[in-house]
Amino acid sequence: MSALARVIVFALVAGGLAGGGGGLAAAADKVRVVTTLTDLRALTEAVGGDLVEVDSLARGNQNPHDLEVRPSLMVKVRRADLLVINGLEGDAWVEAVVRGASNPRVLPGAPGRIDASEGVMVLEVPKTRVDRSMGDVHPLGNPHYSLDPGMAPLITTNILNGLVRAAPQHRAAFERNRRAFLSLLEPALARWTAVLAPVRGARVVVEHGIFTYLLARFGVVQAATIEERPGIPATPTHVAKLIQQIKEERIKAILTVPWGDRKLAARIGDEAGARVVALAPAVGGLKGADTYLSTVDYNVTALATALK
Amino acid sequence: MRALVCLVALLSATFAPAAAGAQDKGAQIEALRKELETLKKAMGTLAERLKTLEAQPATAAAPASPATDAPGTGQTFVGNVAQARPGGDPPSLMDLARPREPFALYERRGAGQLLFDMGVVGDFVFNLTQRNVDKANGGTFAGRENRFFPREIELSFFGQVDPYARAEVRIEAAEEFEDGARDLHLGLAEAHLTLLTLPFNTQAKIGLMRTRFGLLNPLHLHDGPQVDRPNVLTRFFGEEGLVEAGTEVTWAAPLPFFLELLGGIFNGDNDVLFGFGKVSEPLLTGRLRTFFDFEDWGAIQLGASVASGTNTDRHRSTVVGVDAKYKYRPDGWSHPLFTVAGEWLHVHQHVTTEGADDDGDGIPEHAPENRTRNKNGWYTYAEVQPWKRWLFGFRYDWTEFPDRRGHEWAVQPYLAFMPTEFLRFRLAYKHTERNKRDGFGDNGGSARIVDELLLQATFILGAHPAHPF
Repeated sequence: MSALARVIVFALVAGGLAGGGGGLAAAADKVRVVTTLTDLRALTEAVGGDLVEVDSLARGNQNPHDLEVRPSLMVKVRRADLLVINGLEGDAWVEAVVRGASNPRVLPGAPGRIDASEGVMVLEVPKTRVDRSMGDVHPLGNPHYSLDPGMAPLITTNILNGLVRAAPQHRAAFERNRRAFLSLLEPALARWTAVLAPVRGARVVVEHGIFTYLLARFGVVQAATIEERPGIPATPTHVAKLIQQIKEERIKAILTVPWGDRKLAARIGDEAGARVVALAPAVGGLKGADTYLSTVDYNVTALATALK
Repeated sequence: MRALVCLVALLSATFAPAAAGAQDKGAQIEALRKELETLKKAMGTLAERLKTLEAQPATAAAPASPATDAPGTGQTFVGNVAQARPGGDPPSLMDLARPREPFALYERRGAGQLLFDMGVVGDFVFNLTQRNVDKANGGTFAGRENRFFPREIELSFFGQVDPYARAEVRIEAAEEFEDGARDLHLGLAEAHLTLLTLPFNTQAKIGLMRTRFGLLNPLHLHDGPQVDRPNVLTRFFGEEGLVEAGTEVTWAAPLPFFLELLGGIFNGDNDVLFGFGKVSEPLLTGRLRTFFDFEDWGAIQLGASVASGTNTDRHRSTVVGVDAKYKYRPDGWSHPLFTVAGEWLHVHQHVTTEGADDDGDGIPEHAPENRTRNKNGWYTYAEVQPWKRWLFGFRYDWTEFPDRRGHEWAVQPYLAFMPTEFLRFRLAYKHTERNKRDGFGDNGGSARIVDELLLQATFILGAHPAHPF
């Protein structure tokens, strides 16, 4: 056997022990969960507590629609007991990751698959026939529900169901964790509602409809988007109309996301006299938005400040 | 007097209950009023709540005790390997032998929806070059020089066959132009089945497929990074590339990083290097691929491939290749800023040469000889994408001809504009130089030096494409 062959065999045996044997001790205690988005990671950690090991495929500052299918993501999914997806075709790229992961536990329809959108009252579901002339529309409705704190009880229920399927012996602990999380969420939701009560009915411009559920929760109206249609960058005509609309409707804030065209948003804000506000599109999307509650808190505070 | 007493008694008997009833009614009215006020308040509260609910997305109440059923399916999963071992231990041999529980049917689509996806890709190319190149059929798209032509119109169907397998069928139409006659060729580009639930981290792909040899061979022309394939791939595998019928099995190593090993067995129909076309002497392929993600510093993929089979003269041909691809994507960007990739191929062939005819009388004086040929070729390209819609790239390739002496090199700067993910335009200039004109001299023309302007328009109808690395 050549030196190279010996090195390869050693690496495979060592890797096999590390992945299959050495990991058994940890695996016996913890359920390995992979989520597509960081919001779902945060909520899974809240329910799973110390009994789960959670990793997210996307980072908080990445566009959840356009994630590149990297083999490193397949490695994460390959070792997962559970996969939590956003659903509503908002993270459809995950199917390509799953296909490359060779993990039957998380294939579509398998018990290791959790669709967090189960039971969500979906907004912006197209009522008419859709095609690409409308842009990159979501035929199943707006998939960006996870940062609406009012949705967290339902999402954590879906996650809880999946965790119980994987580790029924920890059911009581998962339920206790979830209740503890909701006991923090409920007063926070009341506080956020009070903070945004004075600006209820205010109108804002967004870059993409990623905050639709959050805004609707607190009665803030999404008046227009910077992108002309979903996924279609703004044309000069659209920008001119948007500036006019902001002036006419006295819109105070333009909400941006990290991957958006910040220069364009700044130009529109300057010309129309509106404030450009960066909101966290997901947990970890901006500094100070590290947990689920702190992310919502960050967004609510930023929104209230901008709309004063 | 007695009568008066009786009257008083009668009146008392009559009006006393009435007075008491009047008092009761007053109390009842008071109670009703209070009740009405309470109801009014309740109505007001409900109206307020209704207004609030109408302005907000509704939230489903969280059940006090979650069920163990699959959400929304009402199906309970029992006996599954993963469920029995929540920690994700490798399944035992008994687990593998036991028939697995059926999966819940996926897709929450409504009535009338198809149970598979379909898409159409249209790829149109325009080629402009010198007259002598046109005459010699020596351009990048031989026989279609100075033409606008539909290169690939592809209809694809793909989806889950059942919980255990996925299938993909691609039918292609393309223009063929020969001797001034335009013809449309319709054919099966790919049709394969992938078994997804095999044990030990393996998958098997069965059918007609673009073999996973190297970086670009698995990609269809419209998915490639440039308008055309690098010359080395066209010279070594033909214009269609290495498309074969057979089976590929992949195994993912249980390592903390990505390492995939692939083995394939095919007919060997490729008529440039192989072509024997029988599994009695099959084309065998292999590929090792790894990937390292440096997060903020980008990611790199490294691969090595091999294909070995029998040619039409029943001699062995073997081609090996190594490839690398690096992408840098700034934090938060939804597209890469910088991409660089390259591939090197080496062919080792056993061939039987024709007998040499020294005096030119048409009768060879020397017997045919068995010889070996070793040929090399490589390409590299770099791309910069400062804006999501615009991409600038440059490719260099160099290759020897596998069937004769000589080599060629080419440079190609290109520009791509992508208004959306479903529409793309590319403009490229390609300069090719060959050290010999042999093989590029049809109709008395010459194509030793070729300058071409290439324009490509590509559209996608259908599902949102994933972005592979």
